[in-house]
Amino acid sequence: MIGQMIAAIIGTVAFCVLFSVPRRYILLGGITGGAGWAVYLLASRGLGYGTSILIAAAAVVFLSRILAVRFHCPSPVFMITGLFPLVPGAGVYWTTYYIVLGDLSMAAQSGYDAIKASVAIVLGIVFIFELPQVIFAKLGGIGKRSC
Amino acid sequence: MDRIIYEEIDNDAVMDLALQAGHILLQSGAEIFRVEETMERICGHFGVQSEHVFVLSNGIFFTGGGEREHVFAKVEHIPVSGIHMDRIIAVNQLSRDIENGKYTIEEAVRKLEQIRQMPEKRKMVRVLAAGAGSAGFCFMFGGDIRDSVCAFAAGLLMYLFMVYVAEKHISRIVSNILGAAIVTVVCTAAVKLGLAAHMNYMVIGSIMPLIPGVAFVNAIRDIADGDYLSGAVRMLDAMLGFVCIAIGAGIAMVLIH
Repeated sequence: MIGQMIAAIIGTVAFCVLFSVPRRYILLGGITGGAGWAVYLLASRGLGYGTSILIAAAAVVFLSRILAVRFHCPSPVFMITGLFPLVPGAGVYWTTYYIVLGDLSMAAQSGYDAIKASVAIVLGIVFIFELPQVIFAKLGGIGKRSC
Repeated sequence: MDRIIYEEIDNDAVMDLALQAGHILLQSGAEIFRVEETMERICGHFGVQSEHVFVLSNGIFFTGGGEREHVFAKVEHIPVSGIHMDRIIAVNQLSRDIENGKYTIEEAVRKLEQIRQMPEKRKMVRVLAAGAGSAGFCFMFGGDIRDSVCAFAAGLLMYLFMVYVAEKHISRIVSNILGAAIVTVVCTAAVKLGLAAHMNYMVIGSIMPLIPGVAFVNAIRDIADGDYLSGAVRMLDAMLGFVCIAIGAGIAMVLIH
C-alpha cells in the first residue's frame, strides 16, 4: 500500500508539472493526490467501490480547501490534480477492453462502475463545497505564525 | 474634492483591465464564478459600479456605463489554450492585491502583461512529466516495476506525438483517438516482446495524461455554482474526451487481435 501511495504521489506531481503548477505548490499537490488514494485504499477494504471513491473525493476536496486557506491560493490548484487518481480512467479502459473481447455483461459492469465513480466524485465535490468557509479558515490557520 | 477624484477615474481603463484579467483566467482553465468574481472585484475597487459581466465557457460579455459613467461594451471570444495553474494563481493574487490598494491601474496593467508573458513549460519537460505520470499511475493501479518502465516509454512516445504533431495540426477529437491508439500499440508491443506482463495496467497508466480530468472537475464546479450552460459545455467536452480515448484504444485492440 505504501508503494501505491508513493506511486500516486509521483503521478500527481507529474500532472502538477503538466498543468504548470508553480514549484512551491507541487509537492503539496502530490501529497493531496497520495492522501486521496490512501483514503480510497483504506475505505475499499470494507466498503463498495462507489462509496470508497466518494469518501476519497471528499477527503481530497476537504484537504484542498484547507491548503488553499493555508497557502493563499485557489483550491483547484490542489483539488484538480489531487482528484486525478480517482477519475475513472481505468473504468473507461476496462469497458472498451470487454467490448472488444465481446463480453458485453462485463463491459456493462465496468461502464456502470465508471459512471458510479463519476457520480461519487460529483457528490464529494458538491458536499464539501457546501461547508462554510469558517471551518477551513480555522483549520488552515492551525500552527500558523500570527502576522 | 473626493467627488472630483472619483469622477476623474477613467472607467474605460478599469473595465479593460478587468476584462484582460478575466481573459487570462478563462483562457488558463479557471471556473466561471472565479472569472466573474475577479472582474467584479477589480471594477468594485476602482469605483466602477455599472458593470455587467456574463461569462461562458469560451467567451466574456462585458458592458458598463450609464448616467454617470462612460459607456463600455466588449465581447471577447476566448478559446481555452491549455491549463496554466500558475497564471490562475497569479491573477487571483493580483486581484486581491488590487483590492488591498497595492496597485494603481497602470501598475496592474503592467503586472497583467507580465502574467500573460509567463513562460510555458518547455516541451521536453511536459513530455517527461507525462511519462513520469504514466509510470506512477501504472504502478498505482497495480502494475509492477517493469510495467511502469514500459508505461513510462508509452506515455513519453504518446506525448511526444501530442506536443510535436497533434497540437499544431490535428483536431482534439482525432488527436485523442490517435494518442490512445499509440499507447495501446506500444504497450501491446512491449508485452509481445516479453518486456512486461500486464498490458492492462500499462495502458490504463499511459492514457492518464489524455484523460480530461480538468474539464470534468471544472464542469462539476460550474454546475454546482449554477452556471449550467458552461458546466454542460465543459461536461460534454470531458465526455467527448473519454469516448475518444475509448475509441482509440478499441480500434488499436481490434486491429492487433
